Amino acid sequence: MTTTTRGSIGWVLLLVGRLALAGIFLFAAYAKMKPQAATGWSLGTIKTSLSMFAMQVDSYQLLTPRLVSPAAHLLPPFELFLGVWLLSEVLLRYSAMVTTLLMGLFFATQVRTYRMGLEINCGCFGPGERLGPKTLLHDGSFLALAIAVTVGAFVINRRKRAVSVDPVSASAISTAQHAE
Amino acid sequence: MPLAVLILGAAALCAPTLRAQGTAAPVATATAKPKAAKPHAAPDAAASATPVKTFGNKNAPITMEVFSDYQCPSCANFYEQTLKPLLGPDGYVAAGKVYLVHRDFPLEMHPYSAIAARWANAAAKIGRFQDVDAALWDNQGSWSADGNIEKFVAAALSPADFKRVQALLKPCSAVAPKSKADRSAPAADLGCSVDPYIVQDIGLGYSVPVQATPTFVIIYKGQKYPASSGFVTYPILKQFFDSLLSQ
Repeated sequence: MTTTTRGSIGWVLLLVGRLALAGIFLFAAYAKMKPQAATGWSLGTIKTSLSMFAMQVDSYQLLTPRLVSPAAHLLPPFELFLGVWLLSEVLLRYSAMVTTLLMGLFFATQVRTYRMGLEINCGCFGPGERLGPKTLLHDGSFLALAIAVTVGAFVINRRKRAVSVDPVSASAISTAQHAE
Repeated sequence: MPLAVLILGAAALCAPTLRAQGTAAPVATATAKPKAAKPHAAPDAAASATPVKTFGNKNAPITMEVFSDYQCPSCANFYEQTLKPLLGPDGYVAAGKVYLVHRDFPLEMHPYSAIAARWANAAAKIGRFQDVDAALWDNQGSWSADGNIEKFVAAALSPADFKRVQALLKPCSAVAPKSKADRSAPAADLGCSVDPYIVQDIGLGYSVPVQATPTFVIIYKGQKYPASSGFVTYPILKQFFDSLLSQ
């Protein structure tokens, strides 16, 4: 396999991983903010949905009620922002790093809750999904994906910088240049 | 730097919401007095199987159905920390905002929960559900150890009422109905007049579906919201009710 082919595959994998992560975050934000009953979208229904999400955050028994509400009201808009940021590809290394940190936080919280034996809803994609091995599996996979995208983003960036120092290698990693 | 931009961006996005929301009160300040005033219960068992296990005004804008198991520690915690303030004199039940419905969902793993449910339902049949319900939750740690539920029911009722409850349970000889992990219909003692109430609640629980206790379902203006499981503090539950009422 040539360096160019490897570079192309790497770029495609990074693109797919980035889009998948963006999709996960955008869907997670949508699922938490959408009207939870058969009502239309309005500021009132979004507020109600976020208050419902606050109950799910509270059931983790990790934060005091004083902190639960701000966390529950900040997280879905932040997920929305992160999804858009990942889609935009702007400063990809940093968006991927923030994604990894957030996914790591989610995963650690879920492992702790599962080990405590709390039988609660995950709240990951809105209400309904019970926290269990299935949830740990999908969130663990998302964490692995976020780590892979972060590593990929740093590797491609390093190659790009190497090109600017060593123009001879330019043809070998031309695809990497497209990525950034 | 990008992190700072992210945080600032998220804060800017959410600032209006947070201002509107305010901050919730800490748990300690929301804990109810042990002997809170009890909103009326409808003792009309003949009309329906469930109204006797309710609190508050049936026409309240919000209905909250709680599926619980009398021997489940999380349920006791939920009762003590969340439902007591809700049922207290300053709570939303007394204010006519919430109609609380108790549903029995005894789990297979707990040896005495279904028997406790029988006592509660028998008390419900004579219109004394709230006293027995409170006694069962308040003393869960004691009767869970040895199964002596009768002692606490007797303490919660007058001697005459206790005799009536005892008389209702006298024909109950077979094993009390419990929810099944495979969601099969629980067996009821045909001679036991309270078992159908428990079986009915378990059936309703299956349809939610209840996967753990406590689980609660909230209905507002005829719209049913997805079920929530686990312990939720009163300030956060109240915040959800406020958001519904302000819609």
